[in-house]
Amino acid sequence: MRYLLRKLVLYAFIAWAAVTMNFLIPRLMPGDPVTLLVDRVQGQVDPAAVEALREAFGLSDANILRQYIDYLGSLFSGDLGLSITFYPVPVADVVSGAMPWTIGLIGVTTVIGFVIGTGLGVLLAWRRGSWTDGFLPGLTFLNAIPYFWMALVLVMIFAVNLGWFPVSGAHTPGLRPGWNGEFITSVLWHALLPAITIVLASFANWVIGMRNMMVTVLGEDYVTMAEAKGLPERTVMVRYAARNAILPSITGFALSLGTVVGGSMLTEVIFNYPGVGYTLFQAVKNQDFPLMQGMFLYISVAVIIANLIADVVYVFLDPRTRQEA
Amino acid sequence: MNDDVILEARNLVKEFRTGTGVGPRGAARTFRAVDDVSLELRPGKVTALVGQSGSGKSTVARLMAQLYPLTSGEIRLDGQPTAATRGRAFTRYCGSVQMILQDPFSSLNPLHRVSHVLGRALRIHGNAGADVTEASLRLLERVNLTPPERYLDRFPHELSGGERQRVSFARALAATPRVLLADEPVSMLDVTIRKEMLDLLDRLRRESQLAVLYITHDLGSAEAYSDETLVMYRGKVVERGSSRALISDPQHEYTQRLLAAAPDPRRRLP
Amino acid sequence: MSRRLIPASGKVRAGLIIVAFFLLLAAFGPMVAQHSPTASGPHLLQPPSAEHWMGTTQLGQDVFAQFAHGARISLAVGLIAAVVAKIISILVGVIGGYFRGLTDEALYILTAVFLVIPAMPLLIVLTGYLPSRGVESVAVVIAITSWAGSARVLRAQTLSLRRRDFVEAARATGESRWRIITSEIMPNELPLIASGFLFSVIAAILAEAGLSFLGLGSLTTTSWGSMLYFAQSSQAFLFGAWWWFVPPGLAIALIGAGLALINFGVDEYANPRLRTGKKRRDRSKGRRAQALTVAGSGLAAAETVPAGSGSAEEVAGASTSAGGRIGESALTDSGDDLDTAPAAIRHNPVAGEPVIEVRDLNVEYPTEHGVVHAVQDVSVTLHRGEILGLAGESGSGKSTLTNTITRLLRSPARVTGGSVLYHRHAGREPIDVLTLSAPALRAFRWAEISVVFQSAMNALNPVLTVYAQFDDVLRVHRPRMSARERMALARTMLEKVGIDPDRVRSYPHELSGGMKQRVAIAIALVLDPDIIIMDEPTTALDLLVQREVLDQIMSLRDEFGFAIIFTTHDLALLLEIADSVAVMRSGRLVEYGPALDVYRAPGHPYTRMLLQSLADLGAKL
Repeated sequence: MRYLLRKLVLYAFIAWAAVTMNFLIPRLMPGDPVTLLVDRVQGQVDPAAVEALREAFGLSDANILRQYIDYLGSLFSGDLGLSITFYPVPVADVVSGAMPWTIGLIGVTTVIGFVIGTGLGVLLAWRRGSWTDGFLPGLTFLNAIPYFWMALVLVMIFAVNLGWFPVSGAHTPGLRPGWNGEFITSVLWHALLPAITIVLASFANWVIGMRNMMVTVLGEDYVTMAEAKGLPERTVMVRYAARNAILPSITGFALSLGTVVGGSMLTEVIFNYPGVGYTLFQAVKNQDFPLMQGMFLYISVAVIIANLIADVVYVFLDPRTRQEA
Repeated sequence: MNDDVILEARNLVKEFRTGTGVGPRGAARTFRAVDDVSLELRPGKVTALVGQSGSGKSTVARLMAQLYPLTSGEIRLDGQPTAATRGRAFTRYCGSVQMILQDPFSSLNPLHRVSHVLGRALRIHGNAGADVTEASLRLLERVNLTPPERYLDRFPHELSGGERQRVSFARALAATPRVLLADEPVSMLDVTIRKEMLDLLDRLRRESQLAVLYITHDLGSAEAYSDETLVMYRGKVVERGSSRALISDPQHEYTQRLLAAAPDPRRRLP
Repeated sequence: MSRRLIPASGKVRAGLIIVAFFLLLAAFGPMVAQHSPTASGPHLLQPPSAEHWMGTTQLGQDVFAQFAHGARISLAVGLIAAVVAKIISILVGVIGGYFRGLTDEALYILTAVFLVIPAMPLLIVLTGYLPSRGVESVAVVIAITSWAGSARVLRAQTLSLRRRDFVEAARATGESRWRIITSEIMPNELPLIASGFLFSVIAAILAEAGLSFLGLGSLTTTSWGSMLYFAQSSQAFLFGAWWWFVPPGLAIALIGAGLALINFGVDEYANPRLRTGKKRRDRSKGRRAQALTVAGSGLAAAETVPAGSGSAEEVAGASTSAGGRIGESALTDSGDDLDTAPAAIRHNPVAGEPVIEVRDLNVEYPTEHGVVHAVQDVSVTLHRGEILGLAGESGSGKSTLTNTITRLLRSPARVTGGSVLYHRHAGREPIDVLTLSAPALRAFRWAEISVVFQSAMNALNPVLTVYAQFDDVLRVHRPRMSARERMALARTMLEKVGIDPDRVRSYPHELSGGMKQRVAIAIALVLDPDIIIMDEPTTALDLLVQREVLDQIMSLRDEFGFAIIFTTHDLALLLEIADSVAVMRSGRLVEYGPALDVYRAPGHPYTRMLLQSLADLGAKL
């Protein structure tokens, strides 16, 4: 458990670093961007919003330490300032309204992509040297496709031209959210194409990583011994080879999470899906810095938690980390 | 007697830290790998250091090569205490004391040709003379890699295990050392090649009056190739003496067990 | 340096062609384009035509002109960002890995911070605050958010390299730290740095596209991302204007694939070992380092291990040695008679009932230097309860022989002649192991022949308990056994090899080396097989432990009555424990007979030479 404890300390530190970065970025960027920014939005938005912006950055004459302490204080009470786009809704409310959609869509599809990709990686490694190696160049191509472009193409083909799927939104407009069959069906129906997009765009990464790890592990003596034991092919492949090869993949999963989440957020924009990515897009368009920063904090924390979960899974899968030494 | 000692180790102690030493529960613990070891190396003499893996024998060699700092104790070169783990003083020390490592497959950088390996060693110690190639060829000849021209442009992967180990010997000789620390120089090689390598080591010792520390896990070869033998067990020297006497009449129980465990076909004889 | 200037692999060539195409497009495309990328024209949203090669946008701008300019911007951002990110990651990774201590701790934590905090949102916040967004500043911001992954990989690699003997040897030679880092360590990281660079370029191009797509890219120029931004914001996909948004995304994906394909060749170029096609001998270390590469970065999609090499361990050993190494001993010592002397074969050295008969076996490996005959015309017979000692130096073919008997030989090795007959019972027709079908082979394995591998450290699955590794054998071969019976049997077997039965719940890493080897022996015994192949079972053990394990093997043999094929390079050991001894040299059997006879009167000069060498090295003979 010491392993997990150390990880916990590290992640706590990283969370603190993210919070502090968030505080420092507007203050350290060249050319006093905050003043610039306030000037830029002046006249475009409600004067009250400009005032809110001033306040959000603590643009007081207090010294920086004082500002930092105030910032931490309001952060702990859940106060991230007011959004300019949705003035006067607090940033925290905007983000928590968007978060469930993103967790539902991106969280689920990322895991699906990982499972499918890892499974295919295992198979490709097992059959290495055969015709299945021909998939590799195609997979590297798939791996390099920008998520949002994949979304554009799929929307055009399947939603616009073929009309199989709705073009945008998270549910049929006008439907009242609730736990009823009609609403849930509509939500699932709207989520299908974005989900397919994210899975298609993300799984190749896991295939390639897992295949490489498997090829390495297949050379190990314990795999040969499993074969010599007369175990069925499936057992050798899964219990001996894949079970060991997946360990670095779990670490890889945690590390790639940031990239995958980043890419997936952009697909929300294409689908006008009301999650974090779409909201972020709105924030960028309206130069809504409090909202952008709030998003950054929320997403960072979500990714840190996902990393922590991956570490717990890792400890569960690798007995060597459980050693009490 | 004491005045012809070149390199002397006095009461060497080396402790390694285990555990990270960071964080509330990462309490550092120390592990004593070498515990109060003393030995002297004399010109033209071979001292064998025998022990099993983990006994600390390789650490002794690295301490004497100044690759690790000592926890306590002292290393004397020509009677002068020296502590030089870096910088010019260290380079000068290397000019006198050279080391040969166990694994010929990993002790040469796979990216460097033989000419580069020898050329660097010659230049560092100012032994390149007017013509580095000429000097390198002479080194290769000394270690029986003939014709030497054939070897100069090769990469390590183009050499056999025995050939690589000869290149390691040549690299050590490039410094014109007076002391050679050989850390299991033959244990990774096939039996027939082991003998050739030890014969080579023996010849070099005679030619240059080298003081040799021969580290091995094999009491048999210690008897055949060394004058004095020290047996190490868990960081301590448990027995020492002239090689022949020590092996024909071991005093310490550990030495006796080691000797008894060696394969012996004579047991089968009726 | 490199001997092959033309890349051998079709993949690499395809990658180079793709990337070269886009580089040319970026360099000359804007000159060829007849329109300005920003000038609007009268033809709105036109499909490709002679006038507008790639059609027009909603404002009548020429898509080809935008595409060509976009190539410049995207590639420029990709290259600048990758160079900057690489410099940061080399500094952080190599310095941290080499110097260790507090510097390393601090750099490690810094890396972790940038690794975990998601890059895209950070990028968005950072670029959002940039007072003026030029190509360079966008590229630098991308670099700042993306260096951590490869810094981590480089640190791991540096850590593993600095422990390698050649670095230690360079230090002992008197090299300075600076030279050790630049001349010994970093050149070995070149493939890693190069492949990391390629992936950084891809990542940066993608990041730039994402930023521009959000409207946060460089404000002054047209990039592929900004094309997509305008296409999206004017709902191009609703009008089916594929010519507008398909090319930029496709180009990004193609460049990405091209760079990944080039990466397939990076290793081959930077690594002289791979250049001549020979494999490294200490492959476990190499593999581990490569494993770290893959583990450390989700982007490290490099196919570092050539396909099929997992199986090629034996090939590596056999081909290097048979191809060039064996000459060594023959050249330097007693002359030519080693090759010409007739083999000293005393057939059927032991009386009794045969259990395995190897007849005229031939095994070949195709290598770059021609076919290697790893086993040539070998015939040996193993009798019930016999210990057959198989001696030979590295590359003699002894492992190939045992792997043929167990059918564990991997391609490209192939049996070109002979048979391996297994006698189930006296009087019954023997079966040829080499022709068994897959299901029959699975049933035959372990039940009749089990194997104890050289290094038990690697032969036990690190993530399964000792019990699980007994259990899977029993479930397959003894399907009627209940869980309780299986557990009881596993405990009994552990007791037989002198291990506390409660250790059945332990994982391999909780056992010492000697214990692991005993566990491996216990697992080999669990089905009471007729034959156990022991492939250097004691070589990796210390002398005292080796003796204990040997004594254990001998007493178990007396109890269970299995026959053993015991391979080792230690002839003295074989002469002590084996009933009969077979000596192999470059694929041939040179001596075969009762151990005592071979000991008293070795018939082949090679055997005599081995014994003489052993005696000279102080062995008791």
